[in-house]
Amino acid sequence: MSLTIRARKLTRHYGRTRALDGIDLDVPAGRIVGLIGPNGAGKTTALKAILGLTSFQGELEVLGLDPSRDRDQLMQDVCFIADVAVLPRWARVWQVIEMTERLHPRFSRERCMYYLKNTKIQHKQKVKTLSKGMVVQLHLALVMAIDAKLLILDEPTLGLDILFRKRFYSNLLNEYFDEQRTILITTHQVEEVEHILTDLMFIKDGQLILNSTMDDVHERYVEVMARPDRVDEARQLGPLHERVLFGRHIFLFDRTELESLNELGEIHRPSVADLFVALMGDEYDNGLAGEEAA
Amino acid sequence: MNMQTVKTLWALMRREYWENPGILKWAPVIIAALTLFGIIISLIIGARFDAELAFTLDAIREFANQPIEQRRLFMSGAMFATSAMFFQFLILLVLFYLSGCLYDDRKDRSILFWKSLPVSDRMTVGSKLLTACLLAPALYLAAAVVTQLVILLIATGYGLAAGVNPFTTFWLPSALPRLWLVLGTGLIVQAMWLLPVYAWIMFCSSWAPRVPILIAIAIPLGLSLMQHAWSLASAFRLPDINIGLIMLKRLGSGIVPTNVNMQVDTDSHRADFTDVQFSEELFMNLSTVFGHLLKLEMWIGIGIALVLLAGAVWFRRRATDN
Repeated sequence: MSLTIRARKLTRHYGRTRALDGIDLDVPAGRIVGLIGPNGAGKTTALKAILGLTSFQGELEVLGLDPSRDRDQLMQDVCFIADVAVLPRWARVWQVIEMTERLHPRFSRERCMYYLKNTKIQHKQKVKTLSKGMVVQLHLALVMAIDAKLLILDEPTLGLDILFRKRFYSNLLNEYFDEQRTILITTHQVEEVEHILTDLMFIKDGQLILNSTMDDVHERYVEVMARPDRVDEARQLGPLHERVLFGRHIFLFDRTELESLNELGEIHRPSVADLFVALMGDEYDNGLAGEEAA
Repeated sequence: MNMQTVKTLWALMRREYWENPGILKWAPVIIAALTLFGIIISLIIGARFDAELAFTLDAIREFANQPIEQRRLFMSGAMFATSAMFFQFLILLVLFYLSGCLYDDRKDRSILFWKSLPVSDRMTVGSKLLTACLLAPALYLAAAVVTQLVILLIATGYGLAAGVNPFTTFWLPSALPRLWLVLGTGLIVQAMWLLPVYAWIMFCSSWAPRVPILIAIAIPLGLSLMQHAWSLASAFRLPDINIGLIMLKRLGSGIVPTNVNMQVDTDSHRADFTDVQFSEELFMNLSTVFGHLLKLEMWIGIGIALVLLAGAVWFRRRATDN
């Protein structure tokens, strides 16, 4: 099986901070991978290393190429939106489309027009006169019109309204994605992507603390809304996380016997967001609290 | 260089044209408009003093009777002078263009978009250099050519009014095809001559954290001042090999394309201008243009430029939005 991304001990230091701290990664073709992590966890550094935009230590192969050496060749098959709103502000919409068409051999103007059809973007408009959401729409239309093997989206839907976000993800899944392509997404809006992901990765302080398929995640983690009289008993089973909702205690467990948990209370599948909070641990909670206090 | 490379370079140069319409489109148009405006205004003012145009038409008839060498010198000299304004602005504006060319997209983060396209950094830097050395001169030359043609059309009107043959009086002595050939090749040779300057500014543009043009000026200025200070302090005289002067000479002697060829007797070690033959050969001589290619300084400059360009590509390779 050919791997789209293969990394061994991928490391990147900025002075004394370790943005990436020895990451091992195997992403086969035909996956939609969500890379989720708090700000400053190393998400963007990891993406930049994969795109050949930053130097790194360790081994890294993307589509069989070394991104730091064969970047130009790699970009034939890789598309990315590294962040929102980085289209050249001086250009007009038709100029951006034409430049992409002339410079990218796998760009299809028809597909781009198809994705732009339902937007209010005018071809004669300058990018700087477009709203933030429209710039993202244009950029996404450009990128989805490119027949790439790996699509990297860093916070793709930041600043977009919910209607467009829904349509974007449904387009991505139904019209863009297929067995040959791989999509790597980072986002804060976990709820919106969780039903389209095939793989889930959590990154914290430059390390992957979760790296598995969604099926495994669903099999491995369970959430129990404990009956009031069984709360202490649940605590003794060593839950990963405990939270309180409407006075009910909710525990998150890793691979515990389902039968015994059944007796404790209602069982359901944890959302990615809840799992994220649980695995990131109190440190992240405290970090947030500290940020708010500061 | 294969077809695909040429296509990519052309697409990238169109991008430069779209991104810098002020320098590449409007500046030559405005210079042309101002030149023609000045000529038309002076003709109108002239017509007010010379009510029936009697003196003007008389002068034209007189001019038509001059020997052909005189007419050639006057007409081609006038045409050459018309184009000079374009090329002085060209150099100045190209320096500004180059100072921003590898900096602006880093500043507004659109470099991330450009880097998402399968275009090598060498190609990007190359397209910007070609824009400065070929595209911009071509556009300015085109504007100068249009201006010259309009001037000749106006002269044709006056010539017909004066009853002289405008073709033999004005058009033929202007020797336009030859002038354009000399100007065109002169601009290319000039770009080669200025290549180290261009490459230095691109190099600064590729890494400068802000205001690359100031950094590009401050570093050589500082070096030259340090050299002078050291030389004065240690030997109380100006340095033998004066870095500052070398750099200024490079820029200064490139301002006019095809430097006027003063045939000065170099053996006598004094400038004697009495021997200078004033003819259009002074400024319209291809051998003068190509003579620059035989100079050692030309090739030393190009060597320095190649090193600086490699540096610019190196920094471009590592440049991202921060």
